[in-house]
Amino acid sequence: MLTEALEGQLTVVYNTVAASVQVQVEPVGRWFEAFLKRRNRNVSASFQELEEEEELSEEEEDEELQLEEYPMLKTLDPKDWKNQDHYAVLGLAHVRYKATQKQIKAAHKAMVLKHHPDKRKAAGEQIVEGDNDYFTCITKAIEILSDPVKRRAFDSVDPTFDNAVPTKAEGKENFFEVFAPVFERNARWSVKKHFPSLGTMESSFEDVDNFYSFWYNFDSWREFSYLDEEEKEKAECRDERRWIEKQNRASRAQRKKEEMNRIRTLVDTAYNADPRIKKFKEEEKARKESEKKAKVEAKKREQEEKERARQQQEEAARLLKEQQEEAARQAAQQAKKEKEAQKKAIKKERQKLRMTCKSQNYFTDNEADSVRMMEEVEKLCDRLELISLQTLNEALSAGNKEQSKAALEKQVQEVNMQLQKEKDAELQAQQAARGSEHSSAAGGQNNRGWSEEDLQLLIKAVNLFPAGTNARWEVIANYMNQHSSSGVRRTAKDVINKAKTLQKLDPHQKDEINRKAFEKFKKEHSAVPPTVDNAMPSERFDAVGADSNAAAWTTEEQKLLEQALKTYPVSTAERWERISEAVPGRSKKDCMKRYKELVEMIKAKKAAQEQVAAKNKK
Amino acid sequence: MAAIGVHFGYTCACVAVFKDGRADVVANDAGDRVTPAVVAYRDTEQIVGIAAKQGRIRNAANTVVKVKQILGRRYDDPDAQAHKEESKCIVVNKSGLPRYEIDTGETTKYVSPEDVAKLIFHKMKETAQSALGSDVKDAVITVPFEFDEMQKNALRQAAESAGFNVLRLIHEPSAALLAYDIGQDSPLGKSHVLVYKLGGTSLSVTVLEVNSGVYRVLATQTDHQTGGESFTQELAQHLAAEFKKTFKQDVSGNARAMMKLMNSADVAKHTLSTLGSANCFVDSLYDGMDFECNVSRARFELICSSLFNKCIQPIKSLLEQVNLSTSDVNKVVLSGGSARIPKLQQMIRDLFPDVELLNSIPPDEVIPVGAAMQAGILVGKDSLALGEDSITVDCCASDITLKEVDDSGLEVFTVLFPSGTPLPARRQHTLQGPGSLSSVRLQLFQAQQPIAQIVLGDLEPKEELHDVVTVLTMKRDGSLHVTCTEQSSGRSEAITIETAAAAS
Repeated sequence: MLTEALEGQLTVVYNTVAASVQVQVEPVGRWFEAFLKRRNRNVSASFQELEEEEELSEEEEDEELQLEEYPMLKTLDPKDWKNQDHYAVLGLAHVRYKATQKQIKAAHKAMVLKHHPDKRKAAGEQIVEGDNDYFTCITKAIEILSDPVKRRAFDSVDPTFDNAVPTKAEGKENFFEVFAPVFERNARWSVKKHFPSLGTMESSFEDVDNFYSFWYNFDSWREFSYLDEEEKEKAECRDERRWIEKQNRASRAQRKKEEMNRIRTLVDTAYNADPRIKKFKEEEKARKESEKKAKVEAKKREQEEKERARQQQEEAARLLKEQQEEAARQAAQQAKKEKEAQKKAIKKERQKLRMTCKSQNYFTDNEADSVRMMEEVEKLCDRLELISLQTLNEALSAGNKEQSKAALEKQVQEVNMQLQKEKDAELQAQQAARGSEHSSAAGGQNNRGWSEEDLQLLIKAVNLFPAGTNARWEVIANYMNQHSSSGVRRTAKDVINKAKTLQKLDPHQKDEINRKAFEKFKKEHSAVPPTVDNAMPSERFDAVGADSNAAAWTTEEQKLLEQALKTYPVSTAERWERISEAVPGRSKKDCMKRYKELVEMIKAKKAAQEQVAAKNKK
Repeated sequence: MAAIGVHFGYTCACVAVFKDGRADVVANDAGDRVTPAVVAYRDTEQIVGIAAKQGRIRNAANTVVKVKQILGRRYDDPDAQAHKEESKCIVVNKSGLPRYEIDTGETTKYVSPEDVAKLIFHKMKETAQSALGSDVKDAVITVPFEFDEMQKNALRQAAESAGFNVLRLIHEPSAALLAYDIGQDSPLGKSHVLVYKLGGTSLSVTVLEVNSGVYRVLATQTDHQTGGESFTQELAQHLAAEFKKTFKQDVSGNARAMMKLMNSADVAKHTLSTLGSANCFVDSLYDGMDFECNVSRARFELICSSLFNKCIQPIKSLLEQVNLSTSDVNKVVLSGGSARIPKLQQMIRDLFPDVELLNSIPPDEVIPVGAAMQAGILVGKDSLALGEDSITVDCCASDITLKEVDDSGLEVFTVLFPSGTPLPARRQHTLQGPGSLSSVRLQLFQAQQPIAQIVLGDLEPKEELHDVVTVLTMKRDGSLHVTCTEQSSGRSEAITIETAAAAS
């Protein structure tokens, strides 16, 4: 029992409460689970309790049932039960399809209590005998409504349901007022309990989308078995039953199709008339456009950015380059200056040295020595570095005449020594190089027996079979073996080695060989006609010809040569001598050379012609 | 959704299944609802259960009993050593962990305690599945309160390797509470429950606080020396003495004879829980001599009187420890097979004269049934892994009381918001004041300290009483919000009391 508050006492907080403490609990039981879940979801206890209360209240239902009298009840014809309104018969016309089973049962009970024939009989009313009494209608009504399947069939064809679909024109003006009740009405056929509402002009895109996707995928439980024209139960045999069933099925399907079409039309009309859809479409379009614009802009910006970056880079590179160039130039200038300074200094020193020497009269008395000394001094000036020159000058200026002379001579000696040494080293290097060449040439096992003739022959063969000849070195080797008089058998390898050494040989040697060959040729030629086919140019004359006339052949000379060549055929003895005699002003050698040139020219011409011909053929 | 609850004890294992909202213990293939946790290794097979227990007389060296004592312990653990001393099966040290040395004919096998436990779990799973007829894996397994993390892990691993999907490990005392649905129907109110468990080899007494449907262990005591086997031992000793008296032969030195006597005494003990007397009969106990002896319940109680006292003693000391009197305990739950002993139940009843003694479920089935119920709660939900922090909850530190006067005008304190209530929480009370008053005063106290006063003034004096609906809401940090509304006039007052930490 609470106590009374005294005068002046007010609501007041005296103290603080103790803070919560943490304890470990056992992880068992549903309340622990609930607690854990709550804590994880961060929901307060009261929220959960509210949820529970809500659930409880849902279970309770206000069973305030009010029945409406159906004035036509007594006039109903039981035989025409199919066309009666079962809900009205039971006094549930105001609730209709929303009536619960409980309500239907209660209503039926009330009706029975009131209209049962026995009751009425007791009240002194006239009763129609048998099934013809209107009470049969009540029985029929409860029969239909208490059976969920039959009730659904009846609900599907509820006579009070308005199947009308508003036209687009109707919806144009005030869309929501027209369509909202229609959708509301039709939503009762939905299998799904919860259906989205049409919403308002302000509904979000998701809501609208949700609404239309619901209606486009509308799943209806409406069916039309109630309207079956034939009754299966009436059939007498199985075949008849089947036939009836088939008939019924067809008509039901037909009606169902119509119904679906109706819904479809409704949704289509609504969709087309919906101002929000239009709005969304426009918004979408605008959005896309702006996106596109933004994209283009972004691209442009990006490009600009890139361009700028590139320019910056270039600028930086240019600056860097300039800087580098500047630095290089300065460095070069610096170097040049230094060099000049050094040069100047050297010049000065040299001058000084010369002056000193001159003033000292080259430390000699006689003329010859002074000349020699002058030369030496000049050499010194050339050879000595700046520093040594300086030291020398210092030594010269510091000491007396004898000392300076000694120093100068010493320096001269040193320089001479150095020069000598360098010379020696050069000589040695040259010798070494030659020696190595010699040794490498001599290293070849087949160096033996490479006589002058063989070498000559080799050079000839090499020229005869130019690079690119099939199995060139074998062919050369064979050629050598066939034509050599030394009788030494040479392989391709030997030939290659020798040819290489020959190539390596310094020009002197080559010249020597050629000269020798020529001399021999000269010697031999008096007796022997050329062994080689004239068409084969094999010798190199250009290096020789000390006595040859290098002047170009004139046309006359050319004509004369051609004439001579024709006059003295190949078999003629001492052919070239005679030819040369026929061409005045030209030696035998000149003629041979010219001949070879001509042959080669002709050959080249021929080859070119052949090539052209081959091409044309192709 | 079906789920399984398994109790894996020192001597016995028991399995219950949760199906269609009910939890029931399942009998094994031998028809027993409890399976001895005994595994016998033979040359080619391993036997679990009653067959292994009976075959132990001949195959003691290869039979593992009380594997739970060593499960998840290291070899040098004193408890493991104690188990080694006691076990007939040789325990060896393998890199710090104990292994049973099993001689299977030609080779010697080293079996880990986890493997033994796995075999037992496998047997329990088979039993449950034979009852359900389907492959159910989800299970809740009970562990003693004193099990440490390593032992729990070992147990969990053994169960998982046997094919269980372990939903959670729960403590045996809380499973016992859950079996009796204590605090589960309504989340309001606070009570204390004592769980008395007398198993095969251990005695444990636990006091739990049930607040808002959440359990919390206040204190627990475990005695590993006392258990059902102690009673059997005493009885077997008595039988041996009887045998000696009749045949002048001492069998206490003969291990096999003693084992036979133990089995016989075990049966007699079970009989004595329901009947007034039991007949012990052992064929050719010793030297071909048959032994027969009749033991009455009175005799049994006399033999074991000291043991009984030992079994009751921990209750008193535990209550002392948590500072509760026997009248503060609202319920006592009996569990463990030996809690069936009538004398023991009588003694507990004497100790708690006006407390409800819950023994309607067979004591050895209480724990598995509770585990199965927990499994039923958990199964099919995506439960989060339980960490240390998820079982730590914020609680109200101490009672919020209201000072009132009773009919005789004396001041009394009524608890409006009990301590230990998991936060956040809301409690609603309808308080009454004399209708003649024009104002009422609510004085709130915590720990005998006044914390607030709420005054509802300007009330219409009337015939009947003033109904003041008071709602107390406490947040997680402990701050309290109180709203009082007088029903007829609708006058209301609300205050918020901060915690000391928040106010400073």
